[in-house]
Amino acid sequence: MAKKRRMTTRLLTAAGATVLLAACAPGQVVGEGSNAEGNPLEVQSVDPAEFAGETMSYVYFTDGPDEQATRDLIAEFEDEYDVTVELEVLPYADLVTSVQARLSGGNAPDVVRLTGLTDFRADLLDLRTYLGEDYADEFLPGPVTGATGDNGELLAVPSDATLNGPFINVDMFKEAGVELPDAAAPWTWEEMVDSATEVQETTGSEYAFAMDKSGHRVSTILSQYGTALVAGNEAVLDTAKAEQALTPLIEMMGDTRMPRDFWLGSGTRYEGANEIFLAQDTPIYLSGNWQVGQFAANAEFDWAVAPNPCAEECGGFPGGKYMAALAEGPNPALAAEFIRFMNTAENQETFITAGGFLPTRADLSEEGVEYPERQEDMDVFLQDLERTPELGYEANAAPAFAGAGTELVEEISKVLADEKDLTTAMSDLKKNTESLVEELAP
Amino acid sequence: MSTAPTVAPSSQDTGPKHTWTSTGKGKVTATDALRVVILVTSALVALIPIVWLVLGSFKTPTELSQRPPSLLPDSWGLTNYADALTRFDFGTYLMNSVIVTIAATLLTLMINSMAAYALAKYNFRGRNALFLLTLATIMIPLQVILIPVYQVVASFGMVDTLWGLIIPAAATPTGVFILRQYMLSIPDELIEAARVDGAGEFKIFLRIVLPICRPALAVVAILSIMWRWNDFLWPLVVAQSESTYTLPVALARFTAQETVPFNLIIAMSVVSILPVIILFLFFQKQITTGIANTGIK
Amino acid sequence: MIEAPIKQAQRRRKPPLSLRVAPYLFLLPNMAIFALFTIWPAINGFNISLYSSSNGRTFRWEGTGNYQQILGDGEFWGIVINTVVYAVTFVLLSIVIGIMLAVLVDQQRRGRSFFRAAFFIPVLISPVVVGLVWNWMLERKNGLLNTFLGTFGVPEIPWLIDNTLALIAVIVVGAWMQVGFYMLILLAGLQSIDPTLYEAAGIDGASRWSQFRNITLPLLQPSVLVVVVLSTIHGFQAFDYIYTLTGGGPVGATTLIVQYIYENGFVSPIRYGDAAAGSVLLFCAIFAITIGNYVIGRKREAV
Repeated sequence: MAKKRRMTTRLLTAAGATVLLAACAPGQVVGEGSNAEGNPLEVQSVDPAEFAGETMSYVYFTDGPDEQATRDLIAEFEDEYDVTVELEVLPYADLVTSVQARLSGGNAPDVVRLTGLTDFRADLLDLRTYLGEDYADEFLPGPVTGATGDNGELLAVPSDATLNGPFINVDMFKEAGVELPDAAAPWTWEEMVDSATEVQETTGSEYAFAMDKSGHRVSTILSQYGTALVAGNEAVLDTAKAEQALTPLIEMMGDTRMPRDFWLGSGTRYEGANEIFLAQDTPIYLSGNWQVGQFAANAEFDWAVAPNPCAEECGGFPGGKYMAALAEGPNPALAAEFIRFMNTAENQETFITAGGFLPTRADLSEEGVEYPERQEDMDVFLQDLERTPELGYEANAAPAFAGAGTELVEEISKVLADEKDLTTAMSDLKKNTESLVEELAP
Repeated sequence: MSTAPTVAPSSQDTGPKHTWTSTGKGKVTATDALRVVILVTSALVALIPIVWLVLGSFKTPTELSQRPPSLLPDSWGLTNYADALTRFDFGTYLMNSVIVTIAATLLTLMINSMAAYALAKYNFRGRNALFLLTLATIMIPLQVILIPVYQVVASFGMVDTLWGLIIPAAATPTGVFILRQYMLSIPDELIEAARVDGAGEFKIFLRIVLPICRPALAVVAILSIMWRWNDFLWPLVVAQSESTYTLPVALARFTAQETVPFNLIIAMSVVSILPVIILFLFFQKQITTGIANTGIK
Repeated sequence: MIEAPIKQAQRRRKPPLSLRVAPYLFLLPNMAIFALFTIWPAINGFNISLYSSSNGRTFRWEGTGNYQQILGDGEFWGIVINTVVYAVTFVLLSIVIGIMLAVLVDQQRRGRSFFRAAFFIPVLISPVVVGLVWNWMLERKNGLLNTFLGTFGVPEIPWLIDNTLALIAVIVVGAWMQVGFYMLILLAGLQSIDPTLYEAAGIDGASRWSQFRNITLPLLQPSVLVVVVLSTIHGFQAFDYIYTLTGGGPVGATTLIVQYIYENGFVSPIRYGDAAAGSVLLFCAIFAITIGNYVIGRKREAV
């Protein structure tokens, strides 16, 4: 048995060595309260001619039709500045992972397209350094909220805006003889649910109402009932209002008006209900403007965008994408210039009309944007944009929003699976959101 | 420790085998019938999902949402495939996938079999520890060490090169394990005899051991091809320009946040699984009969 | 101590230098790549488990804080139970079905290679696609399985909606995906059994079942060990296909440990230290089990 003892000794030595190794930090260690002080801002200007011959990289994900527009704009940029832009298109689900890995390998890309800045705040370039203090004023204040750092940095440029809102199957509404909602004077939640139920009963459709399984989409209803998960660095959920807001959903999934399986059958994964709408299984589908292009191409029935229903508030819930430059990227000056170029009024218009997005620039929003198709439907979104409460922007911009959204979906699932009642779920949600906010506080 | 094989490997090709149920010849018994029924059912269970996927890849979105689902597509048109494939430069990605798969598999076979041979047929200090270490790492999922591995690869400058896809995954512990288990059954006398004849250690390995291990090598080869072909997360992180994308990365990269039509997803899936299946069917005789003739110990 | 006789034999004359150096040279290339791209990152991962980090670059010292937090989390223990239930059932199911198919294929003369190939093909398919196609087939309202069962008057079964059914579905699909490979290993083991043993047993009048128990099973032991080791590892690592099949739902009923690690490490808000601590715990668990398997297997072999 001497051998066994020798083996044990060796194992212990190995374990000891590992612990010793662990004593060296795996990377840069931050102590308590060593946050960088806000340095006085110094705008650096670079002569565009100096960029000639340089190369930069742009990490991108696509919703489909926007990709070609991006490629065209990049070609223009390359021509004008005599530079090379390497476009890397990643699947959306793995974008954060990939960029994190590249950052930790000291191999940061220059510019990234993101839906939220939460995971990267500390790594982003303050664009004011190159584009100036006032550059942010060219954009609408709502979308800029999400791109602003805690010390007023401009961490990104909002490159397109989205708004959640319902789509209706006009054919089914007509068949049932149910009146279509008026975009100028939006319906209420009750009216919408009643119409949906009536259409379902008359046409015998599978469901009355469907929506994507996502915390972001459910936030639309919260916003309409006058509350939100988070705002800035605070958990602001009003549990009574949230309960009121979610009751119709729970009820509709309790009977056959909303697909309960759809909600429970995909775990923590995002799941879009667009197939259900396309299959004409539901007269109303709550999603957002990015579906317009897909429906225009694939729907075999007459459909329209309906105004968001009102409760305490009207309007939808905002979202959108950002273009951000990484501070560690090899070519920050060129990166900033690229972002500026892609978001001039002319170029942003090209991009958003191709992708079916809403403008983030103040001037474009003012003048209005002409879309190649479904102008009327896009106009409904634009009208709703004006009714959208400020709270939505603050929620969507909060660092804890994505995490809290996941919790929201989980809590609804638990209610649907009869694991707890809605009241408990909402107070649990509030508690979890509070600890998330604390965890992510700067 | 190599214990002598408990049972001598059956001599190859003994003609029709007599196994524990072989009753007379040519008679069909109830047992035979039952066996065939079970086998056919199991084969159906194994294959139906794949057939269903292939059938689905020809259907339009409307057909896919039809109730009850239609069995055969209305037309065998390739619209979904054309739609899916025109979104990218298929040829380059296919080529990259093939290069990475073949190179990584060859490298894996070489270094794994060498390591397995050392672990199976030599007595040396630290052998058990090294074997256990190998076993231990079989179960480290890539997700878990993704960022540290990436840091190493980046420090070698292998990011965005095909080498970065080929080398890091080559030392598969599963391969070492399978080959070692197999090599344990090679009689020591065979190797001793060669040594007495004055053959060098590497020559013995190359000329005597490797040929005997062909079946196990076939298993490791098919596993490696399968893994490298289907690798997704790692290539996604390492390949950073279109010129180094592999097929699964390319297939996944257009799946956006919100909308991917299901008919295209299905077509893409078929495109990604077809090459390995074809390859397997092509070599299936070598792979399966190879393993079966001598057996893994 | 089965090694003793050989040890003594070797002590008598010291092996030549070439024999002493050769194993290390054979091991070198594999172990070098292995050390660089697996062991070193793994040690690094252990290291990270003692810190908290939201990006894998800047770290804050936590000591055992991550472990305390994970182990004190009720959700984590639910996931551990799911994982153990999954792994144990998956291993048993794989072995039983694997042996059954191997034995049947071994006896089947006609179309043997067809069956072998048919069972192996699911092994070749990428896990992501496996999850996708099964999710589609197991859909309650319009899935192939319920449509098929419906023709016999069976009511729609909520395969992926009911907690227990979903876990069963995940296990069965896991077995569907892997069993062809295990079957090939076992088939190889079966075919190396000396047929004269059966003939002798047949003469002694042993029933088929007793032949199976007394000859086949014991002699199949080494192959079964390989399958046990591999399926245990597969079982504890299952993630990709489950993510596309159920997403870990309904309400976490099929969330296993690797998904927990993945979501902590890569889904916002990123908790890198927790992910690393979870992986260290997973590693320790499987390591212990594998060594256990190996030791038991070797003891049996030695008997």
